[in-house]
Amino acid sequence: MMITSPEAELPFYFGDDAALFGLFHATGGPARRAVLLCPPLGQDHIRCHRLYRQLANALAGEGIAALRFDYYGTGDSAGESADVDWGRCVADIATAADELRRRSGADRVIAFGARLGGSMAIAAAPTARFAGVVTWDPVFDGGSYVSRLDAMQSALRQDRQRFTRPRSASDVAEQWLGFATSERLRRQITELQLDASSVPTLVLDSLGDLPDNGVANISVKRLEPAAPWDDLNRLEVAILSHPLIQTVTSHVRAAA
Amino acid sequence: MTREQAFRFGRARHLVGIAGVPDEASAAVGVIVLNAGLVHRIGPFRLHVEMTRRLNAHGYPTLRFDLSTLGDSSSSGESQTKVQQVCADVDDAMTLLGQQAGCNRFVLIGLCSGAQNAHSVACNDNKVAGVVFLDGYAYRTFGYRVRHYVPRLFDMERWRRALTRSRSQQVAAPRSPEPVFAVAPSPQAVVRTDLAGMIERGMRLCLIYSGGISNYFNHARQFRECFGSVMSHPYVSTSFLRESDHTYILTGDRHRLLDNIEHWIAENFPIVKAGTRA
Repeated sequence: MMITSPEAELPFYFGDDAALFGLFHATGGPARRAVLLCPPLGQDHIRCHRLYRQLANALAGEGIAALRFDYYGTGDSAGESADVDWGRCVADIATAADELRRRSGADRVIAFGARLGGSMAIAAAPTARFAGVVTWDPVFDGGSYVSRLDAMQSALRQDRQRFTRPRSASDVAEQWLGFATSERLRRQITELQLDASSVPTLVLDSLGDLPDNGVANISVKRLEPAAPWDDLNRLEVAILSHPLIQTVTSHVRAAA
Repeated sequence: MTREQAFRFGRARHLVGIAGVPDEASAAVGVIVLNAGLVHRIGPFRLHVEMTRRLNAHGYPTLRFDLSTLGDSSSSGESQTKVQQVCADVDDAMTLLGQQAGCNRFVLIGLCSGAQNAHSVACNDNKVAGVVFLDGYAYRTFGYRVRHYVPRLFDMERWRRALTRSRSQQVAAPRSPEPVFAVAPSPQAVVRTDLAGMIERGMRLCLIYSGGISNYFNHARQFRECFGSVMSHPYVSTSFLRESDHTYILTGDRHRLLDNIEHWIAENFPIVKAGTRA
């Protein structure tokens, strides 16, 4: 059960044509700092919803304003799942960062993102004018990530615990784990290669699969336990982590 | 054209939901979609977003929202039973959608625990005009057991596998029983009486069950086996989507489900055009 006042969480639509859904977590008084929570895509987004709310409430409890939002084509925002586009997501992050500054009064904004949400936060850092980024198991190598999604989608087709009989290849085509996707998004993610961040970035790594040669401007902190992102058997189970909430909250508090 | 609006509402302003009200709303009913398990209001794989937007396009006002303590909603702070809380939350949702769209009768849609919650409200609230139960209450019947076990008796391949399987052979570990979408059982006789009562009160019912619950439901005939002759009443529609899984993970299955729901609503609660009679 959430213990914060419900009035402190305000749902609204914003951006061009009011196409983006957001939920602002206000602080009791003026906020000196603010955190933009950038969601991951696809099923990771649904699995992380609870965690993101808990994190936003924890930050608001520390006097740090927070904004959760959905990219175009995801969650409660306008658009269809097949419309999701990397460039549009990165642009939406910048729009959401400005909305957060306007609502909180704080100019100094730090971004948090899990999986692709972390990768997109790093990509958006210059335009969104982030003071820093905190990511949880971000995707550095898009090609490997796409291969994993393809393998899981292929396994899903024959999942006898889900379907009474195996489904055809055409039944599962052009979608990843429940969400319609496009060739364009597949190509955009495949081309993703994070080799630097333009702002100080903390990576919370629970998977232990970071690039060996290190990434410029990025520091790494190990986080236990490993998050079950790629476990098909837990595809519809929420991902929760109190260590993550504590680590992110104390990092943002210290990064004043 | 429909613009969605986000609301914080309810008797303790503790609920969060998204209302979609078509510009020329002329439907006699509003449609309210309840949480499926612990998934927030967008539904499994965004099912509820697709559902409400398709219904909006046909002229129906909709509300997808989070019940107390689920998704983005908080606790009301009241001391209530689960059923009292669900009924009060849905009443708050009806009030909001009524204020936004001018409707005073409602269709509830729920998947799994959402179907169970819709059932509780439909038993208690006369503002409910219809309900879509997705993988709602069901019980293993004699027919279920015959259909389940008899084919296995004559499956030579299954016998061969059973007889040749060595003890050392690795068998896939069963999936951990995560109770995410579990529906607590309610006595069959009670549910049967409840459904008959709903029909007596003029309610329209649509039961759509999937192959994802094949461990206790495996044929369209089972609706009648479970709930009796009331399933043949003209106010009741039943469908069994054998190929689909419980949460409609494939886009094609989702489209077929939504076609089904859309067709049922249009048939039972037709949009009244200006200048025509209902």
